[in-house]
Amino acid sequence: MAGELVSPTPALRGSARRTAALRLLRRRLIQAVPLMLGVVIINFCLIQMAPGSFLELMTAENQVSDPATVALLRKTYGLDDPVWMQLLKYIWALLHFDFGFSYRQNMPVIQAIWIHLPATVLLMVSSIALAVSIGVAAGVVASMKVRTFWDSLVSIAAMFFYAAPSFWLGIMMIVLFSVKLGWLPVGGMMKIGGASSGTWAGVLDILRHLILPTLALGLFYAAIYTRVMRSSMLEVAQLDFVRTARAKGLSRNKVTIHHVLRNALLPVVTILGVQMGTVLAGSVVIESVFSWPGVGSLLFDSVSSRNYPVVLSIMVLGSLVVIAANIAVDLIYMWLDPRIEIR
Amino acid sequence: MQRFEFPRFEFVGRFARNRGALVGACLILVVALMAVFASVFFPTDPLRIVGLPELWPGEDPEFPLGTDSLGRDILSMIVHGARATLLIGLFASAVATIIGVGVGAIAGYFGGWVDEISMRVAELFQTIPNLIFVLTIVVILGSTLTNIVIAIGIVSWTPIARMTRAEFLSLRDREFVQACRSMGMSDLRIIVSEILPNALPPVIVLSSLVVAGAILFESAVSFLGLGDPNVASWGRLVGDGRQLIRSSWYICAIPGIAIMITVLCLNLVGDGLNDALNPKLRDR
Repeated sequence: MAGELVSPTPALRGSARRTAALRLLRRRLIQAVPLMLGVVIINFCLIQMAPGSFLELMTAENQVSDPATVALLRKTYGLDDPVWMQLLKYIWALLHFDFGFSYRQNMPVIQAIWIHLPATVLLMVSSIALAVSIGVAAGVVASMKVRTFWDSLVSIAAMFFYAAPSFWLGIMMIVLFSVKLGWLPVGGMMKIGGASSGTWAGVLDILRHLILPTLALGLFYAAIYTRVMRSSMLEVAQLDFVRTARAKGLSRNKVTIHHVLRNALLPVVTILGVQMGTVLAGSVVIESVFSWPGVGSLLFDSVSSRNYPVVLSIMVLGSLVVIAANIAVDLIYMWLDPRIEIR
Repeated sequence: MQRFEFPRFEFVGRFARNRGALVGACLILVVALMAVFASVFFPTDPLRIVGLPELWPGEDPEFPLGTDSLGRDILSMIVHGARATLLIGLFASAVATIIGVGVGAIAGYFGGWVDEISMRVAELFQTIPNLIFVLTIVVILGSTLTNIVIAIGIVSWTPIARMTRAEFLSLRDREFVQACRSMGMSDLRIIVSEILPNALPPVIVLSSLVVAGAILFESAVSFLGLGDPNVASWGRLVGDGRQLIRSSWYICAIPGIAIMITVLCLNLVGDGLNDALNPKLRDR
């Protein structure tokens, strides 16, 4: 996990910093291997624990009963091998990005996921951007006006958005903005028969469809970041170097922006990395509410139709995304605060 | 054997001074009473059709919160749903607390490679996207209440384990523990009867926040239509009302408000307990 603080060392410069970053990257990549192995083993255990054989699970979707096909599949997946051999084969297949075949989409699982990926990435990026910008801004305002009306207002809003189920918030926004006011589309990613996505009109159309899902998914995280940012700002503002900056004669706003804000951002960055997985998971629900054609919709569809290869692959790939995000966060952390040496 | 004496009255006073926490605790009590006495208030099956369909709240005084698309009393469904929602939240939190305290206690007490492995396992469970993990478990092992509760527990135990571990790390070398060790007390007994009672207060606070998270998880699972078909929790009521948002959006809105208020109050109570336990942090 990100940022275990070791005693501050003098700031590294130039090439030394680059070497340190590379060393960190290498260490993190090595640490990621057992983690990923663990995810795959959990996955494999789930397959083993499922009622019925792995083969039945794989073929449950479209009721493959042709004995020749079943025999072929038995051989392909080595179901007559001992369990540890099956596990090794499973890992070997995953290493080659062979996630199995999805009969429902009639294509390899990895391809089905790949097709749905851009929509999810778009939704996640826009939600995180919204959450961070609202969270940081609201947190800064609340901390600068601590114990005033504005502080209370921000805290109360954060409390509400932290408690509201995102899917419900999404539905209520559809009722208000789409059904009652007619400002925004009810769902989907672009208007059917509208401008193609390559043109400006098409891009605007997608953006219009993006607004409500982004709000529904992002406001929950905005609430978290607001709370974290507020307490982090208040904490940093009490440190000695801030007093020094004020004593130098810098204005309060200048100190807040140049000295406090930068340091107070660190916890937000940490949480951002840790929560990448929950944002991905949250998009499953939001995509289902807004018929957003992303990985979440694919997962929901696969869960409803018991299309196990897709479900399990999304779990493995989702974990991979989380690991990558955490490594990225550690690197950003190092860049934000060169004194921190991360183990 | 010295025990850390908890200043109870001071604690209660500090908690009660926090207005938000007090209001939260009262509302939680109301929801809990609703859940316990659901069959007293509404003895008939909440899923029975009792009136005209899609009556708006207030339209018919007999159904203060209106009726759904089939003509079922929404108030009755909310009151009965409180039982399902709270029980799932409590049990899932209990599962998470048992796993978390178990792993955290062993990791913190023994340290070394036991600690290293336990924390790696915790990291592993934090890596898998939580709701996706829950959905996968539920879809493979079946949508029963037990499976949902266990699945939510499995994705929620890591913060509790970390907290318990930290408490154990700070307590395991105190004099009273050393005294027990020199008396030849077994590790298990020291963990359970000596360190654990002292480590519990902050862990209990965290568990109350896990209940809130578990309720949100369960509502999402039920909303997606993967909940136990025999249980009408609030999340499922939102999901059921989803088709009718054009004509009767209140069917969706009401159970969602119930979820939000309950989760909000649990968070307030958790924050209040936290502040009361750590007065130094109160101003943050």
